[in-house]
Amino acid sequence: MIVPLTAYLIVGAILFAIGVYTVIAQRAAVMILMGIEVLLNAIGLNIIAFWRFTAPTDYSAQIFAILIITIGAIEMAIGLALVMLLYRQRQTVEVDAYAELKR
Amino acid sequence: MIATALAILAALGVGAALTWVLERLFWQPGSEPGPAHIAEIGRNLDIVNSDRWLLPAGPVVALAGVALAMVVVPFGPGLIGRDLRIGVFYVIVVIDFVVLGLALAGWGTDTPDAVEACYRIIAQLVAYVVPLGLAYVGVIMMARSLSTVAIVEAQNGLWFVVLQPIGFVLYLVTGLMQSYRAPFLEPFAVSIGGGVLGACGGWSALLWRIALAGVLFLVAAIGAVLYLGGPNGPVLPGWVWMIIKTYGLMALMLGLGRTVRPLSTASMLALSWKILIPLGLLNVLLVGGFILLGIGPSRP
Amino acid sequence: MSEAFEIVAFGISAFIAIAGALGMATTMSMFRSGIFLMSSFIGVAGLFILLTADLIGLLQIMMYIGGFLVMILFMVMVMHDPGGAMMAGMDMAFVERWFSKGLVPREPPHSGHSDMHADHGQEQRAHDRQSHAMPQSNAGDHRGHSVHHDEHADDDDQSMQDMDDSGHEGHAAHHGNDKSGMDMGGMDMSMVTPVRPAAAWLAGAIGVVLVSMLLLRPTWRVVNAMPDPDSARRIGQLLMEKYMIAFEGAGFLILIGIFGAVLLARPTIYPDDASRRARVAVDKKPEPIAAEGLVPLAVPDKQAGQHEPHQSEEHGA
Repeated sequence: MIVPLTAYLIVGAILFAIGVYTVIAQRAAVMILMGIEVLLNAIGLNIIAFWRFTAPTDYSAQIFAILIITIGAIEMAIGLALVMLLYRQRQTVEVDAYAELKR
Repeated sequence: MIATALAILAALGVGAALTWVLERLFWQPGSEPGPAHIAEIGRNLDIVNSDRWLLPAGPVVALAGVALAMVVVPFGPGLIGRDLRIGVFYVIVVIDFVVLGLALAGWGTDTPDAVEACYRIIAQLVAYVVPLGLAYVGVIMMARSLSTVAIVEAQNGLWFVVLQPIGFVLYLVTGLMQSYRAPFLEPFAVSIGGGVLGACGGWSALLWRIALAGVLFLVAAIGAVLYLGGPNGPVLPGWVWMIIKTYGLMALMLGLGRTVRPLSTASMLALSWKILIPLGLLNVLLVGGFILLGIGPSRP
Repeated sequence: MSEAFEIVAFGISAFIAIAGALGMATTMSMFRSGIFLMSSFIGVAGLFILLTADLIGLLQIMMYIGGFLVMILFMVMVMHDPGGAMMAGMDMAFVERWFSKGLVPREPPHSGHSDMHADHGQEQRAHDRQSHAMPQSNAGDHRGHSVHHDEHADDDDQSMQDMDDSGHEGHAAHHGNDKSGMDMGGMDMSMVTPVRPAAAWLAGAIGVVLVSMLLLRPTWRVVNAMPDPDSARRIGQLLMEKYMIAFEGAGFLILIGIFGAVLLARPTIYPDDASRRARVAVDKKPEPIAAEGLVPLAVPDKQAGQHEPHQSEEHGA
C-alpha cells in the first residue's frame, strides 16, 4: 500500500466540505438530497480506509459501509416521496417555499 | 493483460456481428425493428441543440460497459479474461452502464423523441432490475459461489435449467427486457423515431450497433453460463459448446419474443411487479427447499 | 509496476470523485448535476476497489447508477429548468462557468430580444464571459488556483491543502465581488440560494480545518496484514451470523421505507385542488408525443405564459 491512509482521508474531507456547501447553498430539495448523499459517501470512504489500514482482518467495517449505503437509498426514496408530495401541494420544489413547515 | 483485453474486444466484435446476422434472420418484414435495424452508419447528423458532452459520451459509456462485462464470461476451460470471485455480481453491475449510456445520449440529443426514449429506458431499468436479480439468486444459491467458473463447475452433473425451470423462464423474460428485444422494444419504437438510434450517425451509430448487439450476445452468454452449463459438453471442445448454447439461447429468446405483441413501458412495469417478482420469490423459495432436501450439486 | 499502477489509479479515482462532486455542486444544469454526482460515486467506488473492498465498490456503483437515473427522472419531471437554460442572466463563479460549459442558455426576460437563436445565445455568453474577465483580472490569481485545484487533485498532501485552501477562498471572494458589483435580478430563477458566498466560506473553512487536522495529527497505527481476497464470503458469513440483527433491521427499514414512500406519494383521501387536478391529468388520455414536441429553447417565455392558463382552465372544467 504505497498510498498512505492520510491521502484517502483527505479525499474524504474534501468530499465532506463539498457536501456541506451543496446542502447549504442549493435551493431545490432534490439537490439538497444529493448533497446529503455526498456527505454519506465521504463517511463511507473514511470507514473503508480506516478498515483497510488499521483492522484489515475484521470485516465489520464493510458491514457498516453496506448499512450506510442502504440508509442512503432509503433516505433518497423517502425524500423523493416527500418532494413529490410537497410538489403536488405547492407546485414548486424550492425549499424556500416550504418555510411554513417550521411552524 | 493487453493481449487479454484485445482478445476480449475481438470476441465482443465477432459476437456482436454474429448476433446482428442472427437478428436479421429472425426479423420479419412489418414487425418493429427494435434496436437492430435503425442505426445508419453512413449518415452524418448534426443536431443543433445537442449537449456537446453528454451526446458523444453515451455510446462510449455503453460500449465500455459491455466490454467490461465480457471479461468474466467463460468461453471454455481457461478461456476467460479474469475469474473474479464476485463475477456474476460484477456482470449485473457493469451492464447497468449500457442503461446509463442510453440515458446520457437520449438527454444529450435534446430532441423530443430522444428525451422520451431516455425516460422509457430508465423506466424499463426499474422494471427489469429486481426480477433479474432474483433470477441470478437461485443459481448463486445452488452453486454457492458468485464466480462464473464455479457456477459452470457446479453444473457438471446436471444443468440448472432442469432444477430451476421457473428461474430460466424468468431469465429469458428479463434478459429480453435487458437487451431491449422484441416485446420490450418500447425505448426504440418506431413511433418515437427509433429513440436514441434515430439521432445518431457515423461513428456513434457504429458504436451503438456493436453495444446493442453486444448486450444481446452477453445476455445470452451469461444465460448459457447460469442455466445451460456454459462450456460443459461431450465430444466437442468447450468453446464450440459455449457458442452453440449462446446462439441457441439467443434464437430461443428472439423467436419467443416475436410471438408476443410489443408491450408498453407501463405494462412492462405491471408485468414486472405483478408476475415476475412473485415468480422470482417463488423460485428462490423452491431452490431453498431443494438445497435443504439435498437435491442439486454435491457440497464440498 | 504495481506501485506505479496504484498511485495512478488512486490519482484518477480521487480526481473523478472530487471533480464530480464539485461539478455536482456548481453546474447549472440539473441533469448534468446528477451525472456529475454519479461520476463522483464511481470515483469513490474506484477508491473502494483500490482499498480491496471490491464488493462495497460494486454495490456502490449498482445502487447509485440505478438510483440516480431514477432521481434524475424525478428532477426532470418536477423542475422548472432541469437543463440549465435560465442561467444566462446569472453571475457565476469560474468553477460554475467551467462546469456549465456547453449549456445553451436562454436570454433573461428583461433583455428584450424576443426571437433569439441558440447560436446567438452562445455568442452572448462568450461575450459575457469576456466582459466579466476584464474588471476582475485582479482575482485572476485565485482563479488560477481553482483551476489547479480541479486538475491536480491527486497531488501530494501539502500542496493539496494549499490548493484546497486558496481554491475555496478564491471561490468565495469571487462571489463576494459579484454580489457587491452586480444586481441580483436573475438570482431568483437560479438553482442556488443567495447565501452561496457564506456557504462557500463555511465549506472552505470546514475543508481547511479537516485537512489541516489530518496533516497535523501524527500517523495512525497501521497494520500491515492483507485482508482475505475472497472478502465477499467473509462478509456474507458475518451478515448471517454476528450482524444478523443489523441485517434484518436494515431489511425491515427498507420495507418501512417502501411503505412510507408509497403512502406519501399516493393521492390522499381528501385531495386538495392541485392533487385532484393531477389525478384528472393522469386519467386523461395523453396526447401523442411526436405531434406535440418540446418547446424549443430559443422560444421566448411569452408563449409558455400563454399556454399555461389555457391548460389550467381545461383542467378546472
